[in-house]
Amino acid sequence: MSGLQDMARQSARGLGFLALVALVGGALALAEPRFLSAASLNGIARHMAANGLAALGLTFVVIVRKFDLSISGVAAFTAMSMGAVIAAGAPLWLAVAAGIAIGAVIGLISGTAISRFGLPDIVTTIAVGSICAGLAFLYTGGRSIFQNFFQVGITDLNDARLLGLGVSLWILLAVYAVAWFVMHRTRTGMAFYATGENQVAAHFSGIATRRYIALAYVMCAICTVLAVLLILAESGNAETNKGANLMMPAYAGVFLGAAILGGTSVLATLGGILLITMLLDGFSLMGVPYYYSDGVISLILLAGVLAFSDTARGYLAGLVAVRALRRARSGGKA
Amino acid sequence: MAAPVLMASDVSKRFGPVLALRGVDFHVEPGEVHALLGINGAGKSTFIKILSGIIQKDGGRITVAGAEVTFRTPEDAIRAGIATVQQHPELVPDMSGLDNIFLGRESASRGLFSRIDQRGLERRAEALLARFPVALDLWQEVGRMSAVEREAVAILQAIAGEHTRVLILDEPTSTLTEVEREDLFALMGLLKAQGIAIIYITHQLEEVFAIADSFSVFRGGTCVARMTVAEAKAGDVSLANLMLGEAIGDIFPPRAETPPGAAVLEVEDFCLEGDFRGISLTARKGEILGIFGLVGSGCDEFAKAVFGVTPPDRGTLRLHGQPVSLRSPRQALDAGVFLVPGDRRTEGLVLSRPALFNVPLANLGRAAAGRWGLKRRRMQGDARELTGQVALHPPSLTTPASGFSGGNQQKIVLAKGLYSQADVYIFVEPTVGVDIGARAKIYALMRQLSREAAVIVISSDCDEVHGVADRTLALHKGRQIEPAVGTFSRDALLMAGIMGEVTQ
Repeated sequence: MSGLQDMARQSARGLGFLALVALVGGALALAEPRFLSAASLNGIARHMAANGLAALGLTFVVIVRKFDLSISGVAAFTAMSMGAVIAAGAPLWLAVAAGIAIGAVIGLISGTAISRFGLPDIVTTIAVGSICAGLAFLYTGGRSIFQNFFQVGITDLNDARLLGLGVSLWILLAVYAVAWFVMHRTRTGMAFYATGENQVAAHFSGIATRRYIALAYVMCAICTVLAVLLILAESGNAETNKGANLMMPAYAGVFLGAAILGGTSVLATLGGILLITMLLDGFSLMGVPYYYSDGVISLILLAGVLAFSDTARGYLAGLVAVRALRRARSGGKA
Repeated sequence: MAAPVLMASDVSKRFGPVLALRGVDFHVEPGEVHALLGINGAGKSTFIKILSGIIQKDGGRITVAGAEVTFRTPEDAIRAGIATVQQHPELVPDMSGLDNIFLGRESASRGLFSRIDQRGLERRAEALLARFPVALDLWQEVGRMSAVEREAVAILQAIAGEHTRVLILDEPTSTLTEVEREDLFALMGLLKAQGIAIIYITHQLEEVFAIADSFSVFRGGTCVARMTVAEAKAGDVSLANLMLGEAIGDIFPPRAETPPGAAVLEVEDFCLEGDFRGISLTARKGEILGIFGLVGSGCDEFAKAVFGVTPPDRGTLRLHGQPVSLRSPRQALDAGVFLVPGDRRTEGLVLSRPALFNVPLANLGRAAAGRWGLKRRRMQGDARELTGQVALHPPSLTTPASGFSGGNQQKIVLAKGLYSQADVYIFVEPTVGVDIGARAKIYALMRQLSREAAVIVISSDCDEVHGVADRTLALHKGRQIEPAVGTFSRDALLMAGIMGEVTQ
């Protein structure tokens, strides 16, 4: 395959993605005209910001070929922690710094356990996530925290606008721009990808692979904190179930984006999360109960990844070929 | 002469631009041990893979007991009576030999809940042992067995199921000791007595005369000779000449013309428990140092110890006269040591990525602009120049490494080494699975590198070590063997590596 063919294939995938966005958007607008209203589009932008930050964090972990199932737990604990700091009367920046610090420590614990001590990633992150979910009840025994939320200005993150776009969307775009540069234009990004695609060869190339795996978990936890911060800003209070709906859309965004755009990358995740958020918001406008949303998203995820996988495509092509062959043979006999 | 049980005529196979097999004619007769000889890249493995159904031939005919066969999967080959024991057989270490042998065919029915018929299994095992009375405790866990016992289990596993007509053994003795080898030969004698034809692949030529009845020699993708051992003995035929052919001397570059320069790498008394001990050597600029050792000799482990992957228990390392301690590949690379690892697919390359990604990987500092960015244009230019220098074919920077032939994958690793601008290059098994043209190119590059850096070539291919190196030594069971005076002749090097003896 030459470079030109490669570029052609990439742009074909890009066009395919845009067509898919138009198709999904069109279908949702036909089914529910309110989907294209300003309120709905603003909602999509806000939800995409929160979902997109969580998905970006997961992207780092998926690039080093690991999983992180602690996202919901980390989100719950850091939500309550930030809430507690705000309620104590501290300024917003301190609350955010505390949340990021706690998230980084949790990520470092998971990452070190997995990379240095060789614990299985899935078990470790389920355990860490469950511990965090329990710790979320530490501050108030589970009661919602809302004191000082309006005075401290956190809701501005949700409401304020800059150049016609919500602040949360700007945060998303800024974080994605930095992540894109690091992952796709620096040696750090090369080291992340090399670690994921062949850890032994990366180690033999002098790359500190274990450090990059640990770093991926730290980044994932920090991005989760940023995501839950936007959720707190939208609702104006902190509750222990705040992160419950972050994990599934994040996984769906990363894997659907990778399937459509041909590999895990920052831009693929952005595309995936756009599609997922459109679908989630569209369904909720159409009155699909929230308790179906994870199921629907998971269904779309499986269908999407299957449809875009080479193996599945090869299998389908094989079926078609076999049928054509059979027809030709039976025709020959007749 | 009995009718051949397996016959191949005009078999060919192409991998992309490389014609791996061209018009191979081959046959074996029932109850004969037939050695299959040839240097690396001669087409032996490709041919064996076709016979065992792992890959499909492009052209030609294969018949088993007179009937033409087409193998699409390994199961097809097994059903036709061709059993293969791979070079490193995959067994389940926690299960007994018996359970391994009957794994997947524990009972006649295949339902989810069909019970394992333990009594039946034991009866079958006893029947098997009655046919092949080997001294082997089949009830022992495979993980606790010796290498030859595992090989025997693998052979019994291969022949237990169907009616086996032909058994293929791929280098079964490479990890065996001298005594174990005799046990294996005894088992082969039993199989032969049952009328099973054995195709036996080996690099150890003395074995051919010890065990085989006849042999075929592969060279350059075709079978160049087939004769019985008796004929070879009578005609005083040199197997090595048959394998290497006439033109083969040309693939090695001329030796160093000037005497070697300053010592670059000095290893003193390197020991790693269980792998090697007391290794001391000096690599100089301007010469290629060759180390010959079979699998299990500690060669690979020694290379990895120098490169900091598994640091030695004891010993000192000096670079340019300064003592250094290399505890990781990063430190080794920073100190100017580059390893071309023995397993390029898992240790050398990110296969899913193109040359553009792989070439700069071991020296990202050179590709970096400041603390963050990458000099992408420079990186691309360097990668293009270096892949040109190693004659990468096809010369694509964007094709994933997995899309290249073995030889060209190795060239990408070489370009990666060139990019890292090391002072010491250590090559481990540099030409396994590399075709003859690429081999010559790789040897020439080693010679070229040796003008600027110290080059160490470590290989289990004696002819390669002897052919390319200016100075040689052997490793045998973790021990270093050097000539008493002067340099090793090819045969002396071979004996040193295989027997651990200096014969001079």
